[in-house]
Amino acid sequence: MIKELYKIFRENNYATVGVGIYIFFIIIAIFADLIATNDPLRINFSSSGLARNLPPSLEYFLGTTSNGRDIFSQLIYGSRNALAVGLSAALAVAILGTIVGLISGFYGGWIDNLIMRLADIALGLPFLPFVIVLAAFLGPSSWNVVIAIGLLLWPNAGRIIRSQVLTLRERGYIESAKVSGCSNFRIIFMHIAPNILPLSFLYGSIAIGWAILTEASVSFLGFGPSDVISWGYMLQDAYSSQALSLKAYIWFIPPGICIVLMVVAGFFISRGYEEILFPKIKK
Amino acid sequence: MYKKLSAVLVGFISSLLLSFFVSSASAEEIRSMKLWAREQAAGPAPHTAALIIAQTLNELGLDISVNAVPWPQMADQVWYKRLDEDTWDLTMWQMVSRPERSDPDEFTYNLFHSSTADKGYNFIGYVDPAFDALAEKQRVTMDPAARKVLIDKAQQHLADAAANAYLVHPLLNFAYDNSQFKDGSAVEQAGLGIKNIWTYLGIEPINGNQDLVAQSLDEIQAINPFFISGGTDSWITEIVWDRLLRIGPDGTPQPWAAESFNWVNEQTIDVTLRAGMSWHDGKPVTVDDVIFSFEAPMNAEMVPMYSPFVKNIESMESKGNNVVRFNLKSSNAAFLTSSLAKINLVPKHYYEPILQALEGTGNNAETIIEEKRIGSGPFKFVDWRQREQVILERNSDHFNPPKISRWIMKEIPNVEASLGQFRKGEVNFLTDYKGDPAVLANIVEEDGDITLVKSIDVGFQYMAMNHRRAPFDDVNFRRAVSLAIDRDVMVNAAWAGNAVKAGSHVSPALTYYHKDGITEYETGVELAKKILADAGYTVKNGRLHYPEGVAEKH
Amino acid sequence: MFDFWSIIRRFLYMIFVLWVVATIIFFMFRLMPGSPLTAFIGTTFTDEQHDLLVKRFGLDKSLFEQYTLFLFNTLKGDFGLSFTYNKPVIDMIVEALPNSIILTLFSLIIAYIFGVIAGAYLAWKRDTLIEGISIPIVLTTRSAPEFWLGMIALAFFSFQLDIFPSGGTSAAGVIYETTLSKLTSLHFYYHLILPSLVLALYLQGLPLLLMRSNMLEVMQEDFVTMSKMKGLSSWRIVIYHAARNALLPVATAFTLGVGFAFGGNVVIETVFSWPGLGRLLVFAVSSSDYPLAQGAFIFLTAILIIMNFLADLMYLFLDPRVSYKTKN
Repeated sequence: MIKELYKIFRENNYATVGVGIYIFFIIIAIFADLIATNDPLRINFSSSGLARNLPPSLEYFLGTTSNGRDIFSQLIYGSRNALAVGLSAALAVAILGTIVGLISGFYGGWIDNLIMRLADIALGLPFLPFVIVLAAFLGPSSWNVVIAIGLLLWPNAGRIIRSQVLTLRERGYIESAKVSGCSNFRIIFMHIAPNILPLSFLYGSIAIGWAILTEASVSFLGFGPSDVISWGYMLQDAYSSQALSLKAYIWFIPPGICIVLMVVAGFFISRGYEEILFPKIKK
Repeated sequence: MYKKLSAVLVGFISSLLLSFFVSSASAEEIRSMKLWAREQAAGPAPHTAALIIAQTLNELGLDISVNAVPWPQMADQVWYKRLDEDTWDLTMWQMVSRPERSDPDEFTYNLFHSSTADKGYNFIGYVDPAFDALAEKQRVTMDPAARKVLIDKAQQHLADAAANAYLVHPLLNFAYDNSQFKDGSAVEQAGLGIKNIWTYLGIEPINGNQDLVAQSLDEIQAINPFFISGGTDSWITEIVWDRLLRIGPDGTPQPWAAESFNWVNEQTIDVTLRAGMSWHDGKPVTVDDVIFSFEAPMNAEMVPMYSPFVKNIESMESKGNNVVRFNLKSSNAAFLTSSLAKINLVPKHYYEPILQALEGTGNNAETIIEEKRIGSGPFKFVDWRQREQVILERNSDHFNPPKISRWIMKEIPNVEASLGQFRKGEVNFLTDYKGDPAVLANIVEEDGDITLVKSIDVGFQYMAMNHRRAPFDDVNFRRAVSLAIDRDVMVNAAWAGNAVKAGSHVSPALTYYHKDGITEYETGVELAKKILADAGYTVKNGRLHYPEGVAEKH
Repeated sequence: MFDFWSIIRRFLYMIFVLWVVATIIFFMFRLMPGSPLTAFIGTTFTDEQHDLLVKRFGLDKSLFEQYTLFLFNTLKGDFGLSFTYNKPVIDMIVEALPNSIILTLFSLIIAYIFGVIAGAYLAWKRDTLIEGISIPIVLTTRSAPEFWLGMIALAFFSFQLDIFPSGGTSAAGVIYETTLSKLTSLHFYYHLILPSLVLALYLQGLPLLLMRSNMLEVMQEDFVTMSKMKGLSSWRIVIYHAARNALLPVATAFTLGVGFAFGGNVVIETVFSWPGLGRLLVFAVSSSDYPLAQGAFIFLTAILIIMNFLADLMYLFLDPRVSYKTKN
């Protein structure tokens, strides 16, 4: 695994760029308290009243919103939400997909059948509409997106991993492990799982982008939380405060670019990774 | 759901803490509270106001957070769960302008009378027999001067009780393209602005323009004379169907489909129907039609939404010569406004069979979906494509025909797109602008051929407090909360200068009934702190505590 | 040969999924915070009116009764009356559906035509500068939130340059007599261009990358190598041999994409005031209009799983190498 990761860096430009972008945002997220110049939710007042729609200045690097909040600080804190949502969604998909794929592929039979029917249901739910309904059901929160991604996107990973397990199961060393009396649990997690981890990683990295984009869309439609700063929230705030008419490009372009960077980094990594997993495409 | 869970947890922990405090200390800490508000997209100004208010009140030692949720959730909590154990404490609320609200009765009675406290609009739970007496008396006082005295008293009474924290009467912003309409030909109606029937009748198209293209942010739900549905819907029903009287530009009811009216005594009124009117299908409008129009809503199961407006009618009779006599159950100063100017006149020959067919089906008149919508109003219905546009055309046979040939309304779900279409001329009358007034003002300046008309709203924006719950059952506490909020900051910061300070439920737009000086009051955090200290509230560890001996629960 | 019974079985699964989804959605709406009756609150709203509404909406019945009634009516194709519009839900869906279908198909077709051609081209141009520049650009367009692209497109092409209308399916005052006259009117397509281009910009990445990688795969197979040895020009090889074989997965992706894009169009429909099914759903959810929300959601689900089913069938019929049984 680590060797493979190293390979990505060495051989693949895409992955290097992607990882670079992530490291950049992770640093920002960790040191957000130090980097941000203001409380992103505080309403600021100036001598002439509410500090609304101010242009960039030394005090507010990217100006202020219509509510008198500091755009730059919001942008900085937004990285925390994006990373939290993206990484937990990735984790959810990778873990669920792996477990389901392993069990389904290894045991087969009625368990497999049941899981595949569940997969049918998950794949039959329209994604964004489901997130919207979920947000209305659970109340606005960024975690809705993570839950929805966990609930609906595991089958993609699960199915591929399952077929991989099916082929692995027939391999000699698994057979010999079985014969030598290893427990199923041990076989699954010690012998099969390490071989499919790269796949889990791949599907997880794809989920990062999905989660961030979905969070933005849900916020934009007004189903997101209003007390948590995310880039999607910023875009929604800018749009409903008419940043377009105000020509406040400095307000609605940067969060969009941050989203693009973060999502594209996920794509880059999964792509670079794919090329290492399936080398024949590139070679 | 998270909120519920966390509320349960917080409730559990705080009750544990509470029991500790009650036994050990005599003064109890005031609980953390939520200020309910609608999400930002539903109205940026009140949302900002809520954020500023929470920030201000927390300076008093309270712990208040804004809970912004969609309307069904907020209203469910505030309205239906008002008597629940874990109900609301503070909420942002608004009353919007409607023609019939130019009579002060609706707000004065329905918002504050104790009879509406448990289930009606008095959701704040304000119960005061002295006020009830005032509200009842103004309703039956027919002499305007005497009624004015009572309405003034009512306003002062509510201000002294700090019943609500009134914030502002917003300024209504409407604009039209003066390269398509003659500048100044729009008519302003008190408390409603230039978006009203008088404008639609009087506005003069120029430079080859024929149509008025209006815009709505809300979706139109129904165009039905028996159904009061979405706010925008009434803009349409109002001009397709006539009423006996209409609220004039000055805010008072004046003859319309009725040529004249005459109070025989305080409980009897004779109305003379205008001669020569016809329905959009060509048939004449008769006294029978008028009686049918008022009788239909008396069946509350069939026409539930309009039934309150005819409740006070005992009987009607045709007196010949186009005269209809209304016998009332009790005298009512607002009858002209809330009944005669409210009920849509409908053709009996068309609607009677429809209503009869609905009897016993379990459906009521609100479910009528018709190809033809027949009224007698100045505009005829032509077409409606849902979530897109409604097209009406001029009724040239009307006694007061409009100058525009078509009235079109586009449904555009967001402010930005609405403004964009207005700038491009795809919309030539901005009728529903809930966005930033400063943006609109900029555009007016840049564009050069836009006429912007601002008027004071008959409605108002306020923060409501739940009188049923401590500490809001204490008038001193309510006063402190209300007076802590700097109304100049509300006007200038939250509403960006696009509002006037409010001090009562009667808008300054209603010049006759508005109490002079009611908006002149001191505010500020220091003042609020003083009121609280005088009333025995204390601050410990940064948090406000009840006066000694007062407990959270009774 | 395909197995007739496995198709039947697959079809039954489809019905089963639909039932499960309908059930999940039904209970999610009933247990949701907020009340549909709040839409009617007003200064003159009486208790009597409230009780009438509760009765008419059937909210006085037990949850189980409401559920069985809902299932029974749904089977009959009756989704009930919308609480807010007082109109049969099915009528509202039928009105919105063509707009959504056209928007989805139009943008998918643009995206796939472009994606397939560009994908094939980039496969052929493997390891060149063009590829090096294009792939990151393609990935970037896939990474931008659709509504953000829509906002920028609207600001630029409509409000700034005034080339395209800014929303809706027609200019003010234009009447389409029937759905057919709407769908055959040029005016309608003029309004369709901007939203579908934005959507297509977002959608083209998938077919492009898919086509490219399939092409690369196919081009390594023996018959392509053989053709190369026979001395056929490389572009001819791409067109006649590789592309044909690489198209199948793309066609499947298209079918799946129809079902998928349908649900995802919600944001574009909002930005461009497009009266489609997605906006109907958003409105219904935010106003707690259960019947309308349920109806719209079940329709979106049905479209999605029918498309999934068709994609399966397509594999079955078009690709002789896959037998249905082994795939499942």
